[in-house]
Amino acid sequence: MALRLTQRLLQTQTPFLTRGYPLLVTKEKTEDVAHTKSALQKKVTGTDIPSAQYGGRHAVTMLPGGGIGPELMGYVREIFRYCGAPIDFEVIDIDPSTEGNDDLDYAITSIKRNGVALKGNIETKSQSLTEVSRNVAIRNELDLYVNVVHCKSYPGIPARHHDIDVVLIRQNTDGEYAMLEHESVPGIVESMKVVTVENAERVARYAFEFARQNNRKKVTTIHKANIMKLSDGLFLEVANRVHKDYPELEHNNMIIDNTCMQSVSNPHQFDVMNMTNLYGTIVSNVLCGLMGGAGLISGRNYGDHYAIFEPGTRNTGTAIAGKNIANPVAMISASIDMLNHLGHKEHANVIQEAVYQTIVNDAIRTPDIGGTNSSTDVVENILKILSAKRVNWPHGNYFSQI
Amino acid sequence: MSMLARTVGRTFMQAAAARSLHTTSTLRATDNYGANRTTCTLIPGDGVGPELVYSLQEVFKAASVPVDFECYFLSEINPVLSAKLEDVVASIQKNKVCIKGVLATPDYSNVGDLQTLNMKLRNDLDLYANVVHVRSLPGVKTRHTNIDTVIIREQTEGEYSALEHESVPGIVECLKIITAKKSMRIAKFAFDYATKNQRKKVTAVHKANIMKLGDGLFLRSCEEVSRLYPRIQFEKMIVDNTTMQMVSNPNQFDVMVTPNLYGAIVDNLASGLVGGAGVVAGASYSSESVVFEPGARHTFAEAVGKNVANPTAMLLCGVKLLRHINLPTYGEIIQNAINKVLNDGKVRTKDLGGQSTTQDFTRAIILNMS
Repeated sequence: MALRLTQRLLQTQTPFLTRGYPLLVTKEKTEDVAHTKSALQKKVTGTDIPSAQYGGRHAVTMLPGGGIGPELMGYVREIFRYCGAPIDFEVIDIDPSTEGNDDLDYAITSIKRNGVALKGNIETKSQSLTEVSRNVAIRNELDLYVNVVHCKSYPGIPARHHDIDVVLIRQNTDGEYAMLEHESVPGIVESMKVVTVENAERVARYAFEFARQNNRKKVTTIHKANIMKLSDGLFLEVANRVHKDYPELEHNNMIIDNTCMQSVSNPHQFDVMNMTNLYGTIVSNVLCGLMGGAGLISGRNYGDHYAIFEPGTRNTGTAIAGKNIANPVAMISASIDMLNHLGHKEHANVIQEAVYQTIVNDAIRTPDIGGTNSSTDVVENILKILSAKRVNWPHGNYFSQI
Repeated sequence: MSMLARTVGRTFMQAAAARSLHTTSTLRATDNYGANRTTCTLIPGDGVGPELVYSLQEVFKAASVPVDFECYFLSEINPVLSAKLEDVVASIQKNKVCIKGVLATPDYSNVGDLQTLNMKLRNDLDLYANVVHVRSLPGVKTRHTNIDTVIIREQTEGEYSALEHESVPGIVECLKIITAKKSMRIAKFAFDYATKNQRKKVTAVHKANIMKLGDGLFLRSCEEVSRLYPRIQFEKMIVDNTTMQMVSNPNQFDVMVTPNLYGAIVDNLASGLVGGAGVVAGASYSSESVVFEPGARHTFAEAVGKNVANPTAMLLCGVKLLRHINLPTYGEIIQNAINKVLNDGKVRTKDLGGQSTTQDFTRAIILNMS
């Protein structure tokens, strides 16, 4: 059984990068899938690339993606220009219709050398079986093993529940997204779900550490271990074991179907949630929907070396592309997360306050959250607020003011 | 009669300047800029540095630029009056931006120190990348036209490591240090600079045929980094051939990355091609801070007090500073004024073949800002 599993893993490898990087990035050609390498091995083989910060300005990769991505990215650049954020974007377009991975390879290389990226969702329009999801390819190649979505209500937005404040911490690189599918016999398709101790522990430890550092009280692990006793059971067992290192935090577990019901009936019971890949995408969409839809919440993807910031529900929004009704808050929130990540808290706070004032106090909202304004109305109001609070250059004594 | 004419002329000029000031103030008020001001460390330097820095301050004042200067007099040839290096370093670390005139470097040290003040400043702030943008300016007559080259030089190691000693009387050893880490860092800076500014090619300048280990390591590091940038062409060139190619066909170069000593040589060579030390601006980068200074680094000490130095290089440093701290509109205004004055050719300093003074040139810039 183990031998057959190994053979199957080797046969289904589809390398995302075909070039060698012998010194900067050690690439082992027979082990492309992130979970087949131990965490220690990843750390040892990755040589540090010099940081992309020059004179206080950061180089950042920008992947607009498809659908509403390009127009939202335009708003982000305009906002950064207005508030004086010291970020230089390297924009890389990936055409969803093309075959082959040249653009994808270049995008991954760019993120590796810049370390940080702002990303819209990239469609995979090709029906060819050799084409993998480009979003998943990026996350696997860069080993972004954790996705953080902070679902926090905005006051005044019509919603059935108010004052929700839940953090979802989700695996990014394991589970059903391992991209291992094949048709063993005509008419019979097998899709393999992979759970490993190393990756489960990394994400669980991140969840507990996040809860500790942000003064959260409880971590809930979401699973379906009553049915998948070995795979989800392993995930749950690892979470229980990690909890022993954090005795001051409460830890419980919940089955995914019950979680969805509890999320829509009483979402306030959740504090920090820890879950595998597929459940993460389900629950994050449920909670974002409770708060007003795909246009409000941002998501963060972290690995040991790289970070990617994107809207929380990872939707392309193709149906509303070009109509000037897309909610820009999710992408703007992602850019705020990026500024915080890079240490530009002054600019991040200024933009955050402008967004909050626009959505809550001035009540300028797009139709998806019950308003009548256009995307540009929202952005223009943010820019108007920013023009009075512009930070040309970070003040040297900013942190002493806190 | 001539005295009266001069007085009347000066009065008219002042009136025009006042009108210009009023106009720009009105423009700035409607732009709603100036909500906050940026502090910049200012080091006038030696030689004609203070005069050039004064020109820059005059232009910034006329354009109502929201930048305040924190001034330190730092000097190696005048150590009694000089500010402490620790204070200057702390100021640059706090403000993160600095404009610096050229510091003179004596040929000998009074206290037996092998490191110059420039080198100490660079090492304390880790200003590892020096960027000199050599570009043909309108209205400046030169043998070559349309030169547009960026020279990126590693500034913290190589021959400037200050490791010299006399092992035996009459035998001196000078140690050149090359490290993989710093070589990769400067190479990545060069490629990131090329990416950001839409440049197509990066040329690594070396002497690895002779110094196979030292320059060879630099060259290998550049090659490794170039693989992360598949859309930028990478070239290698030996430094002696580089200097020949630079004077015969400088248009072939786009971005150049060099170790320390070759960078100094190529910087000055390229500056001469486009008009000399008075028209080329440069910048030194660390991760957190940036220091803007003239690219060719000459104090022009023989012209002190004569009011003949060309302030274009220092004004271009100011333009680069404004772009760096997210004030490109002001930078554009000053850049356009510089282009107009040079294109007209009516007001030129001596180094560009004219007879005007530094103050005349500065006044012309101010009058042409709009």
